[in-house]
Amino acid sequence: MPEIAVLAFVAGVVLAFGLFSTLAIALVPVLGSGWGWGIGMGTAAVAGTVVVLLLTVAGLGLQALAYIGGLFALVTFLSLVTFALVWLERKYLGRLQQRLGPTRVGPFGLLQPVADAVKLLLKEDIVPAWADRVVFWVAPLIAFVPAFMVWVTVPFSRDLVLRNLDLGLLYVVAFSVVGITGLLVAGWGSANKYGVLGSLRSAAQLISYEIPLIVVALTIAMLAGTLNLVEIVERQRPIYALVQPLGLFLFLLAGLAEVGRTPFDIYHAESEIVGGPFVEYSGAHWAAFYLAEYVNTFLVAALTTLLFLGGWKGPLLPPVVWFLLKTFGVVVVMFWFRGTFPRLRIDQLMALGWQMLVPLSFLTLLLTGVALYYRWPWWGLSLASTAVLVGVGWLVHQQASRQRPVLRLIPAREVRSAG
Amino acid sequence: MAEARPLEVREILVNMGPQHPSTHGVFRMVLWVDGERIVRVEPHIGYLHRGSEKLCEGETYLQIPTLFDRLDYLSNFNNELAFCLAVEKLMGLEVPERAAYVRVILCELNRIASHLMFYAAFGLDVGAMTPSMYAFRERERIQQVFEAVSGARMMHDYFRVGGLRQPPPDDFKERVQRLLPLLEKGINECDTLLTHNEVFLARTRGIGKISPQEAIAWGMTGPCLRACGVPYDIRAVEPYSLYDRFDFAIPVGAQGDCWDRYMVRVEEMRQSIHIIRQALQQMPEEGPVLTPGARRLPRPPKGEVYVRTENPRGELGVYLVSDGSERPYRVKIRAPSFANLQALPVLMRDCYVADAVVILGSLDIVLGDVDR
Amino acid sequence: MLASVKGLFLTLRTTFRRPVTAQYPKEHLPLQPRYMGFPALTWDYTVGEPYCTGCMVCVRYCPTQCMSATMKDNPLFKEGKSPRRKIVESFEINLNRCIVCGICVEVCNFDAIVMSHEHELSTFRRDGRRVRLEQLLEMGKRYQALTGWRPEAERKAEQEKGRLAAAATPSTSSQTGTS
Repeated sequence: MPEIAVLAFVAGVVLAFGLFSTLAIALVPVLGSGWGWGIGMGTAAVAGTVVVLLLTVAGLGLQALAYIGGLFALVTFLSLVTFALVWLERKYLGRLQQRLGPTRVGPFGLLQPVADAVKLLLKEDIVPAWADRVVFWVAPLIAFVPAFMVWVTVPFSRDLVLRNLDLGLLYVVAFSVVGITGLLVAGWGSANKYGVLGSLRSAAQLISYEIPLIVVALTIAMLAGTLNLVEIVERQRPIYALVQPLGLFLFLLAGLAEVGRTPFDIYHAESEIVGGPFVEYSGAHWAAFYLAEYVNTFLVAALTTLLFLGGWKGPLLPPVVWFLLKTFGVVVVMFWFRGTFPRLRIDQLMALGWQMLVPLSFLTLLLTGVALYYRWPWWGLSLASTAVLVGVGWLVHQQASRQRPVLRLIPAREVRSAG
Repeated sequence: MAEARPLEVREILVNMGPQHPSTHGVFRMVLWVDGERIVRVEPHIGYLHRGSEKLCEGETYLQIPTLFDRLDYLSNFNNELAFCLAVEKLMGLEVPERAAYVRVILCELNRIASHLMFYAAFGLDVGAMTPSMYAFRERERIQQVFEAVSGARMMHDYFRVGGLRQPPPDDFKERVQRLLPLLEKGINECDTLLTHNEVFLARTRGIGKISPQEAIAWGMTGPCLRACGVPYDIRAVEPYSLYDRFDFAIPVGAQGDCWDRYMVRVEEMRQSIHIIRQALQQMPEEGPVLTPGARRLPRPPKGEVYVRTENPRGELGVYLVSDGSERPYRVKIRAPSFANLQALPVLMRDCYVADAVVILGSLDIVLGDVDR
Repeated sequence: MLASVKGLFLTLRTTFRRPVTAQYPKEHLPLQPRYMGFPALTWDYTVGEPYCTGCMVCVRYCPTQCMSATMKDNPLFKEGKSPRRKIVESFEINLNRCIVCGICVEVCNFDAIVMSHEHELSTFRRDGRRVRLEQLLEMGKRYQALTGWRPEAERKAEQEKGRLAAAATPSTSSQTGTS
């Protein structure tokens, strides 16, 4: 029965965004950016809410209002999380670089994301003359809406989940792939060489790195024996990070590539193909992509926590707090990587994906299958997994040290005497 | 039925225009790109041409160091030194020891500052933003010392024909001595962050190779030449100023690729610190800083002279023709970045678009030098 | 592998260091004593007139020709109150053109111009950066108060006195040492 609530929500969201897009396309050129977006969003929000309420109440009765409340709470929470992530990234990267980060807007710069959001919404809305208008407008939505919709089935603790589907993991993986289309469409719709190049690169990258991501998620599902996310966490004894460290490593790398973070952020690198698929997007359009990126980052971190780090399990503190702590911990690790590493070139990135991550992920699958079939104790699989990880690290190190570049230091007096 | 036309494949023309976050100044590169591979590159320069050489003809010898400061605007002291050495050679002036030591110390500090700037920009080119912050933190220390000595952080106008404009402050030696261990630590940190990082190696190793013969043929000098394996450093081969009194090493690379050019510069920073230490030890405590024969407005005799110095970017040459008056007849500046930049099409053979930025960054050009 | 891990640990360590940022405009980094700000004209408090006589040596030697000046007969000289025959009448510096090189200070024969410590002189007008004599004298007075500036002849005389005094006193200290 609650599925009707979710369906109604989806219908309402789709209607709302359709209405919003039409109104915005019509009003923004006439009324200017701020008013156009404002009226569009306001009307859409009201209409969408009304439709959703009507449909669900008609289908279920008043108790459905609880579900609707939960859905809106989720959307609000995710927006707040995005604000928090934007602030955290800038502050953390600042400290990592021995500088302060935002300090002026609000205490400790906490209102900086709000300032950024307001600025983006008020910016002039530029649509390139040759661009395909409909495609141009729809692209951010295709990237942005699935990012939110995945969260319906992600549990924050055993009871804090909107709708715990038995096929939870499959739903999450399936919906996270839909967003890639948005990037492709964005580059094409911009009618810009850089945009097209960037969107092709991004599509190639994202599709390639889906494979290790999905295969590793599959091994976790095998270990737990279910696709139900709540069950996966409940059955983690011990946490799967200990059972499959190789899996954690692969999932984290693949996740970084999925979200487009350094060292895999070549497709929207500012210093080269100035922005990639987003080069022509200004103001609120770009804000949608930006928002989607942060929600996806949080999603990958949440999945890592759920699948590998034991979700909400932990002593003393309430489970939700543990979940958030662990997820933010993973997010901080992702920011840490961004501050330390340069970025890989696109062909190196693809080589890493196909030549290293994909075979390793299949190896993980094989190991897990063997371990489950022959009923190894958990530490057996753990040892095997660690051995493979260490072996791979050692091989990479060997390769690197064999080609270790060498610099000669010639004393100046030798050169002087040689004349 | 119309017959099928063969599929027409053309190269895309990508313009990395004068305004671009990665072209190190106002420099335009037109790239013909086939997919990701660069087929042809055409550099366009001149956006920063200010007519320095012509301006020199109209300015007195007292005013010209201000022009030279602004040529290669990251190594101001080295530029001033080249000019002062040229005029001193023409006039036959002998600079007092203390002034010469101070000059060498400041020039080497400037070399470190310039290479730190290269490190920062190169880090950004490969996509890492932290190296730039670390490098500028160190650079700030050096610029504070410069401000204490000359009054300005960058455009110093401190060297004069015959010595220095004014004596260094009393705490000069202590300040520099306190600075050196901090710089060493900073350079080691910068080294740890980037040099052997796997991603950095993947981005710079084997990219933009040039053979020593080609490099010499194109007139490359400085770290770009030394990265190819040619141990040519003017401070060692033709010592000017006091460089024959110091014991230092010349870092020399093996392959002539981007990584070698980067590493040569990092090592050079360490060697500069070594030189500064020796100079501080050998420097006389007291003494004049201006030669007695120097006048406020020098008037060199008729003649011409060519002086070459080792700029952080390569060989900076000053060819000075004097007609006996207080303004030169002609000043020709042999700019190192100009010669290094000429080899760009050779360096960018068969590379990717993303490599173009890295190769340009590894050349370490300064457009003030290229365009003058 | 190892190098990347070392790099990661380096950035982790740096996260816990004190940031080096100085929060301008609340915090200003200290300026060095020799810092060259824009030129300013000095004021002779003993006589009550500028040191500048309007001789225009600085104007001639300025590489960017950013200054202009005129001179007039000094009324105070006729009254016998001042040693300067001529005095500056008007003086203008176009700060947009000044490259802050300090050559004007170097060539001045009268200690009349100094490089003040003022560098925060932005305005909202395009031509708002021309300063005239009154403002230049004000900047000079501020600089003199801030640094205790004295003309070179006075400074040299004081140094000589100090040196002579130091050479004359060691006998007393050795007496106290031995007794």
